[in-house]
Amino acid sequence: MHHLSLYLHFVKLRIRSQMEYRLSFIVELFAQASISVIDFFMIALLFNRFKQLAGWSLWEVGFLYGMIGICFAVAEMIGRGFDAFEKNIVRGDFDTILIRPLGTFYQVFANEFLLRRLGRIAQALVVLLIANSQLSVQWSLTKVGYLLISLMSGTCFFIGLFVIAATSCFWTVQSIEVINIFTHGGVFMGSYPFSIYRWWFRHFFTFIVPLACVNYFPALFLLGKIESLGVSPIGVQLAPFAGFLFLGITMLFWRWGVLHYQSTGH
Amino acid sequence: MKSLYLTFHVYLAFARKSFQKQMQYRVANLAGLTTNFFFLLVQVFVYIAFYKASTEPQPLSIDDIITYFVLCQASLMLMPLWGGREIADTIKNGSVALQLTKPVDFQTYWFVDECGRAYYYLFMRGLPTFLISNLFFTVTIPQQPSVLLAFAVSMVLAIFMSAAITITIFSTAFWTLDTTGISGIAASVITFFSGMLVPIALWPEWLAHIAGWLPFGGLIDIPFSIYLGKLAGIEIWIAIGKQTAWCLFFMGFGRVLLSRGFSRLVIQGG
Repeated sequence: MHHLSLYLHFVKLRIRSQMEYRLSFIVELFAQASISVIDFFMIALLFNRFKQLAGWSLWEVGFLYGMIGICFAVAEMIGRGFDAFEKNIVRGDFDTILIRPLGTFYQVFANEFLLRRLGRIAQALVVLLIANSQLSVQWSLTKVGYLLISLMSGTCFFIGLFVIAATSCFWTVQSIEVINIFTHGGVFMGSYPFSIYRWWFRHFFTFIVPLACVNYFPALFLLGKIESLGVSPIGVQLAPFAGFLFLGITMLFWRWGVLHYQSTGH
Repeated sequence: MKSLYLTFHVYLAFARKSFQKQMQYRVANLAGLTTNFFFLLVQVFVYIAFYKASTEPQPLSIDDIITYFVLCQASLMLMPLWGGREIADTIKNGSVALQLTKPVDFQTYWFVDECGRAYYYLFMRGLPTFLISNLFFTVTIPQQPSVLLAFAVSMVLAIFMSAAITITIFSTAFWTLDTTGISGIAASVITFFSGMLVPIALWPEWLAHIAGWLPFGGLIDIPFSIYLGKLAGIEIWIAIGKQTAWCLFFMGFGRVLLSRGFSRLVIQGG
């Protein structure tokens, strides 16, 4: 409980400091939204010409796109501490974190909060809502709960990726840029149905990096597309938990990484 | 004549310096190469799936599309706003004052700096991306030397235009100081209208028409259409003329903006 109230306090401080530069904040919010609007417009252009993609309509793909977009933007908003962790190592700030009477994972997590990702979240949410209004999904309480769990799971998945990149800084000092393949690349490939990818690609992004589990499989279930694909329905329903599991594993990796920390500064 | 040669020599040295500066980031370049290739792979999967589902004839064949995106990923780093943040930084931290005291033209300096950077990425990122892609996909290579020549000219113009646009946009730092927002919006508009995300040939007619009136096709659409042999004869000359005109426009516009900026420049401290 104490941790939570402290976290909320940190967030309040972060928001206040970011609102100091109000104009620049608003411009960036607008920039974020406009970038992502163009992003989805591109997909719409392709559907305008080709009509469908592997049996998926524009708005079914929009549903996928909205889900993954929300997860990533929320992860960037709350997981910023890990995403921007590199500077803690470069400047030697991590020393300070180590001597405080709180867990390192908690401190790094609570250290940052990027309010301006609201622009991106809003855009993805709008796409998801429009997609939903164009599709006839039979919503029930279970399905709403399942959607929320999937979104949380997807957010955890992306935060897990940030944690991996941050942990690698204990060895490499600078963040490993290859992680972009899974974060930004993940959003890009998660916006399309997984069935279009080659088998080795699909398997990698299901069992090793569980991107499909937090986005594609939940969408299959919610859009009632399971039957058409012959995937096990129980597997699909349990899939979102892979995101939580993934974050858990990366937390263990973090713990192990901290043991290998050697200070750079002072 | 001799002074002209000397001037040229000085700026060439600046360009070379900029090229060498990029050489330091070899590991980052390797990571970028991997990322480029990953995005290319996903793009190719997506387009193959779209083409499989469609029976209608398309203006570009799937081999054209693959070649197009190989070229896009290979020249990604030549696009505006990837570099040039330094320009805004010198204005923000005041070192622009020092630069203005030197007998070097500010715009030309940054122009050759950008070109040096672009040529680094052309050889160290673009060429490897292109060669590796050849192992995985069928990439078309034009057979006629005239097409290759026109493509080379068009590509150089694209690099010049990109440099001119970058300088123009970052010189807004004289007014806003924080250029993140404006460069973000500009980057998304430019990327879209250059045809980098979806080839303009696949756009609906009304939108392609708008793109035709905008300069940004000169960055991607024109050079790659020449490469794919979609433009021929007089069309190539018109396209290259268009690129040249827009290049000059951005150089002129940037110059006006900069001179306005210099006249209102106030340096803190010292």
